[in-house]
Amino acid sequence: MKRRSKLLRNILTLHLPVLLIVLFAVGPYVWTFISSVTPQKEMDMEFRYLPEHATMDNYARLFGNLNFGTNVKDSFIVALGSTILGMTLTLTASYSFSRFNFRFKQFFLIQFLVINMFPIVLLIIPLFVMMKNLGIMDTHFALMIAYSTFTIPFATWMMTGFFRAIPRELDESAQIDGLGRFGTFVRVIVPIALPGVSATGIYIFINSWNEFIYASILTSSAVRTIPVSLQNMVGEYQIAWGLLTAGGVVAAIPILTMFFFIQKTMISGMTAGAVKG
Amino acid sequence: MKRILSVLCLLAMVLGTALAEGQGDEKSGAKPAAPQTVKFWYHFDNPETAINPLIAKFEMENPGIKIVAERVDWGSYYQKLVTAIAAGTPPDVSQVKLWWQPQLVEMDALEPLDPYLAKWAGKGDVFDNVWKLTKHSDGKQYYMPLQMVILYMYYRTDMFKELGLQPPKTRDEFLDVAKKLTRDLNKDGEPDVYGFGIRGAKGGHDWWGTFALSSGARFFDANGKSGLTTPKAIAANEWFIDLYRKHKVSPPTTPTDGFKEIIANMKSGKTAMTIHHIGSAKEMDDALGEKISACPVPVGTEGSWTSFGDEENAVFKASKVKDAAFKWVAFLATAENNAIWQKASGQVSINVSNGDKSDPKLARFMKATVDSMPFAGVLPAHQKIAEFVDAVWPTVTGQTLLGQITPEEMMRAFEKHFQN
Amino acid sequence: MPKKRLDLFPYVLIAPAVFAATLVVLIPILQTAGMSFMNYLIYKPKARSFIGLKNYITALADPVFWISIRHTVVWIAGVISLQLALGFGAALLLNRNFWWRGIARSLILIPWVTPSVITALMWRWMYDGNRGVINDLLVRFGFLRHYFPWLSNDKTALVSVMVALMWQGFPFFTIMIMAGLQSIPSSLYEAAMVDGAGAVTRFVKITVPLLIPILFTTILLRIIWVANSLDIIFVMTGGGPGYSTYTLPLYSYVKAYKALDFGYAATLALLLAALLAVVVAGYVAKVLSTEDSQ
Repeated sequence: MKRRSKLLRNILTLHLPVLLIVLFAVGPYVWTFISSVTPQKEMDMEFRYLPEHATMDNYARLFGNLNFGTNVKDSFIVALGSTILGMTLTLTASYSFSRFNFRFKQFFLIQFLVINMFPIVLLIIPLFVMMKNLGIMDTHFALMIAYSTFTIPFATWMMTGFFRAIPRELDESAQIDGLGRFGTFVRVIVPIALPGVSATGIYIFINSWNEFIYASILTSSAVRTIPVSLQNMVGEYQIAWGLLTAGGVVAAIPILTMFFFIQKTMISGMTAGAVKG
Repeated sequence: MKRILSVLCLLAMVLGTALAEGQGDEKSGAKPAAPQTVKFWYHFDNPETAINPLIAKFEMENPGIKIVAERVDWGSYYQKLVTAIAAGTPPDVSQVKLWWQPQLVEMDALEPLDPYLAKWAGKGDVFDNVWKLTKHSDGKQYYMPLQMVILYMYYRTDMFKELGLQPPKTRDEFLDVAKKLTRDLNKDGEPDVYGFGIRGAKGGHDWWGTFALSSGARFFDANGKSGLTTPKAIAANEWFIDLYRKHKVSPPTTPTDGFKEIIANMKSGKTAMTIHHIGSAKEMDDALGEKISACPVPVGTEGSWTSFGDEENAVFKASKVKDAAFKWVAFLATAENNAIWQKASGQVSINVSNGDKSDPKLARFMKATVDSMPFAGVLPAHQKIAEFVDAVWPTVTGQTLLGQITPEEMMRAFEKHFQN
Repeated sequence: MPKKRLDLFPYVLIAPAVFAATLVVLIPILQTAGMSFMNYLIYKPKARSFIGLKNYITALADPVFWISIRHTVVWIAGVISLQLALGFGAALLLNRNFWWRGIARSLILIPWVTPSVITALMWRWMYDGNRGVINDLLVRFGFLRHYFPWLSNDKTALVSVMVALMWQGFPFFTIMIMAGLQSIPSSLYEAAMVDGAGAVTRFVKITVPLLIPILFTTILLRIIWVANSLDIIFVMTGGGPGYSTYTLPLYSYVKAYKALDFGYAATLALLLAALLAVVVAGYVAKVLSTEDSQ
């Protein structure tokens, strides 16, 4: 008896709400997928939920004529590079902000905040000139620099918050154990803050994956990320709807797959026994 | 420790790749002695079309010149172009629109093509009208014609036949027909078919022009003064707005309907008439076949006006290979090559000798295009025209369609925009 | 000797980040900000001149500016609340242990991972007043009699776009809050349960207080981010119909790239930043004061 009522309660308070949220999140994506397998002729006719003659034609054209695989590769390189670059700078800076008190600390923290208050859309021309002068236009590197630096201020604030949540006693007990400052950071703090580190890394990665304006301005032919490729399907007089939705479906898959494996790192390191007693 | 090492290795690898790439670009960017490179920006709506065949043909006919073409998406085209110009590194040639011309010329970005054109044999094969419309107000020819469309009116032949109607010639006939075509078929209190699809979102200024500029409104009169707030102009605008607000011959989504919506509404049978051009003719024909045809837009109280839709090529002053650049734009404006270009862009050739080469299936649409040529016009060459098209017309018209301001206030807002 | 090392080390740690952010972001910001005091039209390179505060005076007298501010405030408050509510709820649920947790967590990332152009166009298509699936469902389930033009009606356009933003942004809160929840040692909950505390008490006395730092930071950052976001609105409605979905960043963008008036655009951007600074000042003071007490 107790088992059944527990199951029912679980369904109502856990599984059902989660299912509803997942449906909400997934709904538009499913709709995008349906559009991508609907032949053009049917799109013009009466509204219907499922196409009569579903076709994978758009996907064939996407990876064939349009070379979307290259776009995925380019996006991946840029996003991964931005994340590594950004996280390296962010982790060290956040550690400093969270553990030390020094002059100008508040100044720098506030400066990071203020930087992000300005719409970066207006910075295109100075950045264009800068990348041109550095000779790195139309390279992955240009985007990596742009993306990692734009996300550093936010990422630093977030990571500082996560680090601050870790009590100083841990630092002290680690140092008592003989670890230097760097060692403490890398072997004790970071693993405990792994959920926060993962979350921040995800934030930088997704931002870089989806960014359009700078990708469009700073690259031309050698590098073409997914958003730029998709935007090319939105024309002056018509939208290549089938290809666009197919591209949209494909664009989400690499990250979802990656995340499915990474999300285990979201399990806390706190329960790994780092705190003694 | 191991983890740090592996992360650092990964970081080094990624940065190394990227840097090496950067190096590679620098090396290949070193000036090659022999071939001249022309950087060309363009866009096609259909992402699957490419101009490689044309480039190959050109390079074969012009050894020593290489074309590096970059496809730029339409949404950020002007933004990207302006950024490049402001940074001092525009392409050598770019596709351009007429309403950008005043600003580009003011920026001193364009190279006048008159000296080249004087020696060009193909000049006579381009419609006279096109030269006239693309010449700048300072008398110089900066733009090289490339393609054109002329807006006409689509109508559902089957619906017209069903109600025994004829394609309207004057605006009064148009209103009459539109009202009759607006019907509530399933008797649920809401019309299911509307007579006319108005494009209320960005780009709809051409719809507005057909009704306003043909019936008394003018941007500027002969003396350069505003012709937008004369009694006739205001009346013409009110007639246009009334189509939606009073006669309700256009769907409720009009304030935000863009080209995608009006085409979709035509195809699905939600509207019986709309205005567009031959660029959409093929998909209309594919979807509706004999049920759709086209005719010139209705005549207003003072004549007809329809939009001459354009796309030209321009050569930039900062270009270091202007001779080669001109060869490329001249190549594209020559009948044989222009015809190939139009196959990819779906628009109309600017060459006289290409007149009879269009797809026979779309003959009726071509006829409507040609019949509309005599009264096809462009917006005035004013520096604030770009902002008018992109921002002012859509927002002010949106407010008027929503009933937030009156049609008269709409015209006054337009006038104010050009006066600042 | 040790004292000297301690002095420099923190600076060394933050130096790369500060350097990168300053060089690539701050300096261009200052350059652009400088344009707000000039008559800076991109297409008139010769006619640029210093005009002091004239742009600012124009802005304060500009009705579109005030409409945009009003919308921006509504926009920020509404979008953040919606995203936070849904994100928090999802985080609490997804933090629990159940067999399909991994799949659920991955799937709710979808809105965040979808490129903005797809999100904007798909939602616009779903809201379509003639053939949209949202209308179809609402009519089918009897909530509406006829299709409603959600994005063409000035009263519903902004809210409709906000719902799309809620969809796009709640996963961010979920991920961050989940990470925050994980930082709370389970030993605290165990001890509380031994003391006889119920679920609600545990939530109120343990979870919320320990989450407050993360919540504060996340909400703060999100406010700044949402205030500046324009890609979704731009593609969904372009600011229309009329000015009903005009926000300040969108107005600034339109002025920059449609009117090519960078001076005025920079002015609008700085005014937006000033507005944000006021909002943020309160937050920052609170956060820094709680930190000092640690």
